[in-house]
Amino acid sequence: MAQAAEKSAQPYRRHIVGLPLQRSLFGEAARAAPTIGLPALTSELDFPAQLDENGDLFLDRSKVAALTKALLSWFTPATLELMRSTHAAASDVLVDATENAARAAASLNGASARKLSEDLANRMALVLAYGVLSKFVPDVLLRALADAGDVEPPPFPETSAGAKLTQNTFALYEACCALNYTPQRLQREWPHVLPEVFCLVGEFCKRQTGFGPLAWDSPGYEDPHYVVRLLHSAFDEVNAEQIRERLSFAKRPVVTGSAIDVPTKITALRRLLAFWLDFLERETWYVRRAFYVGMIPLLRQLAAGYREEIPAFQPADVLFLDIREVIAGTVDSAVIHTRRHRYMENSEYLSLHGIESSRLARMLGSS
Amino acid sequence: MSAANSTTVYSGLGAAPGRASGKAYGIRNAEDIMAVPAGSILVLRILHPHLAPLLPRVAGLVVEEGAILQHATTLARECGIPAAVGIRDACNLFQDGELLDVDGYTGKVTKWHVD
Repeated sequence: MAQAAEKSAQPYRRHIVGLPLQRSLFGEAARAAPTIGLPALTSELDFPAQLDENGDLFLDRSKVAALTKALLSWFTPATLELMRSTHAAASDVLVDATENAARAAASLNGASARKLSEDLANRMALVLAYGVLSKFVPDVLLRALADAGDVEPPPFPETSAGAKLTQNTFALYEACCALNYTPQRLQREWPHVLPEVFCLVGEFCKRQTGFGPLAWDSPGYEDPHYVVRLLHSAFDEVNAEQIRERLSFAKRPVVTGSAIDVPTKITALRRLLAFWLDFLERETWYVRRAFYVGMIPLLRQLAAGYREEIPAFQPADVLFLDIREVIAGTVDSAVIHTRRHRYMENSEYLSLHGIESSRLARMLGSS
Repeated sequence: MSAANSTTVYSGLGAAPGRASGKAYGIRNAEDIMAVPAGSILVLRILHPHLAPLLPRVAGLVVEEGAILQHATTLARECGIPAAVGIRDACNLFQDGELLDVDGYTGKVTKWHVD
């Protein structure tokens, strides 16, 4: 009994998120989850995931079991299609909100920036809720398929988001090599490289922003320095022909149902599972891109306003606010100081995620 | 798990077909992704999509996370890299440089003990 209790208290994932702003979004995900409309997920108290002060993620297995049971008896071709279309809409709306925030941010005053931050945060929270559900819903779908007598392999994505990223990264490598910048030379000379090469890497980063670790403060593809180092690690002294062959992505056996199939429960289950498996490859991208492309410009605007009131306020201090504080415009310097101190003292987290001392200022574009 | 002669065999799930041998290289923190040796067997707790560009240079994949429906399965299949998932505590079991065989059909990982 004691052993079972100890096991249930163990985190599902440790140290996944450290920044207070990002941590607070998990609370918003629990609030957003009931709007998804799934059975056994009718209030934020039913949400099966929780993030503690250390950034450790806990999954409540009893809530997962309740949701699993409810879903298995709820699935019909109609509910499965509803589940797919609702989920797809949430992802699409976040992409639109991200681009909208990026376009509008520079011209907004404080109140408008806060309003748009709230709108974007709500949409990020909803996709984040789907991200938590993705830890077990695909398995529920696979189980339902087995229960329905389906014996085909799972419908894994064709040319997934990660596969496309690999192709694009290899294309950048080849373009740099064509300008006589091997990965080794690029890393050695960066950022003092030919303007064409500097632009190539910069444009790549803009397009691929969103790919990276779940923790926003851990460097990812938005950071040219990260990309240059990754190019070196991935493609230095490799056989380019062999890489090309691997990136040709020879087709695996076709496992999805035919388009002319009558929408039986099995075809509907397979269609939805294919959708979730594709989402699984993009879940971090959606929210991370929303943060870097949409939220950061809004936070810059807000930080400029805070600085007029509090001269010592640093742009990166906004990362130590709770999203509710961002929306309300509440800033307490002492609270920020305490949170920042606690964050900077967590050397295990900083080392795990490769966060250097200048990282936060760089994220806000203020160094 | 069973020990035989100079090997130890660990059982997981076969996630991407094929067989590969090479030296283990573990990803334990963000910095480790910046020095992946070519031809190595990549050992991770979980493979996220942003790490996909590293896959074409490795020979095989060993992942701690247990489920078959995950990033590693999708990505390893696409790149044609043998992968075993669900090898619990793999990042601690396998030290960098140790010789591993990965069987992506059965999910078995064999560690060779070199005297």
